[in-house]
Amino acid sequence: MASPTAVVLAAGEGKRLRPLTRNRPKPLLPAGPTPILDHVLDTLTAVGIDDIVIVVGYKESRVQDHVGSTHDGADVSYVSQDSQLGSGHALLQAESAVENSMLVVNGDQIVAPRIVREVLDAHSDAPDASATLAALDRGEVHRYGGVAIEDGRAVDFAEQPDDEGRYHLNAGVYVFERSIFDALHSTGTENGNLTLPGGLQTAVDRGETVRAVRTSGLWADANYPWDILTLARELFEHDVVPGSDEPATGIAESARVHEDAVLQSPVAIAEDAVVEAGAVLGPNVAVGRNATVGPNAVLENTVLDSDARVGANATLVDCVLGQGARIGPGTTAMGGPADVRIEDRVLEDQRLGAVVADRARLGGGVTVAPGTLVGPDAEVHSGATLDANVTAGAEVRR
Amino acid sequence: MCGIVGYIGRDRQHDARDVLVGGLENLEYRGYDSAGVALSNGAVTVVKREGEVSELVAALESQETLAAPIGIGHTRWSTHGEPSDENAHPHTDCTGELAVVHNGIIENYERLKAELRGEGHEFESETDTEVVPHLIEAAMEHGENREEAFCSAIERLEGSYAIAAVFEDSEEVLTARQDSPLVIGVGDDGYYLASDVPAFIDHTDQVLYLEDGEFARLTPETVSITDADGRPVEKSLSTVEWDAEDAGKSGYDHYMLKEIHEQPRALRKCLRERVDGIERTVDLDLEGLDDVSAIHLVACGTSYHAALYGARLLRERGIPAQSFVASEYDRASLAGETPLVVGVTQSGETADTLGALRTARAAGARTLAVTNTVGSTAARECDEALYVRAGPEIGVAATKTFASQQIALHAFALWLSEDSIGSDRIDALRDLPDQVQAVLDDSDARAVAEAYADSSAFFFVGRRYHQPVALEGALKLKEISYEHAEGFAAGELKHGPLALIEDDTPLIAVVTGDDEIAQKTVSNVKEVQARGAPVIAVTDGRSDVEQYANHVLEIPETDPTLAPVLANVQLQLLSYWIAAELGRPIDKPRHLAKSVTVE
Repeated sequence: MASPTAVVLAAGEGKRLRPLTRNRPKPLLPAGPTPILDHVLDTLTAVGIDDIVIVVGYKESRVQDHVGSTHDGADVSYVSQDSQLGSGHALLQAESAVENSMLVVNGDQIVAPRIVREVLDAHSDAPDASATLAALDRGEVHRYGGVAIEDGRAVDFAEQPDDEGRYHLNAGVYVFERSIFDALHSTGTENGNLTLPGGLQTAVDRGETVRAVRTSGLWADANYPWDILTLARELFEHDVVPGSDEPATGIAESARVHEDAVLQSPVAIAEDAVVEAGAVLGPNVAVGRNATVGPNAVLENTVLDSDARVGANATLVDCVLGQGARIGPGTTAMGGPADVRIEDRVLEDQRLGAVVADRARLGGGVTVAPGTLVGPDAEVHSGATLDANVTAGAEVRR
Repeated sequence: MCGIVGYIGRDRQHDARDVLVGGLENLEYRGYDSAGVALSNGAVTVVKREGEVSELVAALESQETLAAPIGIGHTRWSTHGEPSDENAHPHTDCTGELAVVHNGIIENYERLKAELRGEGHEFESETDTEVVPHLIEAAMEHGENREEAFCSAIERLEGSYAIAAVFEDSEEVLTARQDSPLVIGVGDDGYYLASDVPAFIDHTDQVLYLEDGEFARLTPETVSITDADGRPVEKSLSTVEWDAEDAGKSGYDHYMLKEIHEQPRALRKCLRERVDGIERTVDLDLEGLDDVSAIHLVACGTSYHAALYGARLLRERGIPAQSFVASEYDRASLAGETPLVVGVTQSGETADTLGALRTARAAGARTLAVTNTVGSTAARECDEALYVRAGPEIGVAATKTFASQQIALHAFALWLSEDSIGSDRIDALRDLPDQVQAVLDDSDARAVAEAYADSSAFFFVGRRYHQPVALEGALKLKEISYEHAEGFAAGELKHGPLALIEDDTPLIAVVTGDDEIAQKTVSNVKEVQARGAPVIAVTDGRSDVEQYANHVLEIPETDPTLAPVLANVQLQLLSYWIAAELGRPIDKPRHLAKSVTVE
């Protein structure tokens, strides 16, 4: 059987990851030294997909610019979801771009190729199935979607269910026949959203066969900004991002690392990046494309997105830097655990030093209290002490 | 100025119709007023139509042509004869047994045509090209075989050409070139030929470059190349580093907008492994240019604006440098000490620029090509080549290649004067791609464009480093919107053009920094605003120009020598959205073609 078209849902912003999503959607946030979406697309080509449709919406040109018209030999095309009204609504935008059965994945969740392959195989082994999905036996189902399974068939879908005995985690990896579009068209919205599990519930209720494959393997995403750090660690652990044993394997050819820099594995350094003399990196550090780590800077459990720049003698622990973020010389942001304030909520005991969003600039000698979020384009003058979040574009003087 | 393609397949793996149509679509930037193919499947079938390639596709479908393993195709930008079905290529001989496509200009075609008419040959078109099939036919009537006849026809031609021919009952494509580009693709499933690599990049990245005067015969199994004297030539395969990826539209409505958005990536590639962030040096792989005492830059169109920028930068670095419009460059321009002559040409095939470089070489000058096209004529003819690495650009209006030309020339100027590169300049260069991204992320150009699309004329001004982008901003706007636009050095406004200012002629002023230079431009802005014209300021916000502007397009602060690269992105977006608002065919403006290979 020819491999099906893959539909990648990448239209949502990922609001809980603000302020990192100011200029791009969640699928383009860093998973180690490269965006989450790259890993998703790698998984698709690894299982033999050669035709990919990406549903784009929020900051769509960023996705189009990043991926272009092909990925690793697979053709890539785009459809737009103008307003983000749920995963089912997103898939409906691709209705005219898909001819036969389709593989559907989320653009912001990293899934092992094995999981996708098992769903594809199970679907082609079950000619009666109108849909097949992956179910994971792992905790945290209360944070995600759940699916109840009887005799290998999905019988019931629930959002964030508490009953871990009944519900397995719905991994968001699906193979659908085109009948899913009928089911989605017949499904009502919930709080204005039309979800894929909603559409599947309709299919189940109509008596269609929806198969669920219980599987396991790497399955990772980010809900909050500090999850970017966990994500990088998970990818290092699973060797998805090289950098564990032999540091050189994690360093791009065009990156420049001074011979007097110290790298404590795992460390990954992307193309065009520069690490200057005396810098100490690791463990669990990802340096994005064209990012710069100044002389004698110390970085631990930290992700620098592309074009970020860390000045001399700065110390960053448990930090996430957005694209083009600037950290002045001697600035320190020590790690968590810390209470992080997100809008009007406080999340306690998170392992986070600081999040410095795109193109925010911290001057020299700034002291950042653990758990601080600095918004995009903010400017913090030298010598300031930050012990509260800084909003986008704000200026903080000493 | 046209594009040609050819294909000869092995074991009928591909239908030549698909290969040729796909190739022509990728070459439409070279011309799009008519298109045609000749298919060889025992008999030779010619299908050609005035209009874009889509017209040809419709004709191929309606005429129910058959699949063929061999064919040639052509997309035309008229030089001799108006766009019409008759003038479209391919052209055939009197018998219809052979068909020819041609890119270039045959200067002696009138004499040849008269001679052939005298011998009884009948012509159907007004083109120069049609003499070629009749010359081949005549030579074959005199007993020559196909190959001999093709070569003797070629020998009779004066001018520039890339020519390909197919014949009835023969599994071969014959081809030759002189002063027009031609590249042969070597695939697993057959051979390809084209004016430019994007025509077949979907099928293979292995290529052979044909030199002037060389002749090639392609069969399903072999390619044999001979020089002008008939001696076999051994060629080594080159690998093209373009991805097919770069040739798609990536979901954008136009290549131009896609290519504007590709500038951060293009600049990263241009700077990669050239600017060293640790040693703080610039390293270009150029030989024998370290004792340069003076430089002439020769270029046309947008590339000329990049040359103006490069010349100013070289002078700032202490190297005497001048830029010239290539078609105006002659021996007299070379009076005095022989300079290094730098040809700036995106395609590497621009006839005017190649001519200027040849003039320079004839006068004993060393030459450097600054080009986007590996293996292009300019790259091969010059002593050294500096590649701008922008990737293929399909939109006729140059965008990303201009940015990459600027930065390649910037790197060149620093490399020539590397003892004095400041650390800040290296940082500024490395920060540039993200700053371009910042402009793309935050630009208000679309809203401004919607407000001013109906204006009667547009004037662009800038001083010093911003003068070339003022010229470029105006050129871009007129190319794709068909609206009247002019660019000036800001100081020149009061010496004449001010008389053109009215309340519906917006002034687009590029002002960055807050030094004396910026203040002078702000004064010019005030003069215009006082006369009632709307002002759109492109600024980093450091001067008070915003007070005198109706609209502001912001750019990040950077080194004064790099600010024009950022400002230009706003001007590109402004032009694009004005043209989009006016419903223009942005990727294919009327009368224009991308690389102009005629003088």
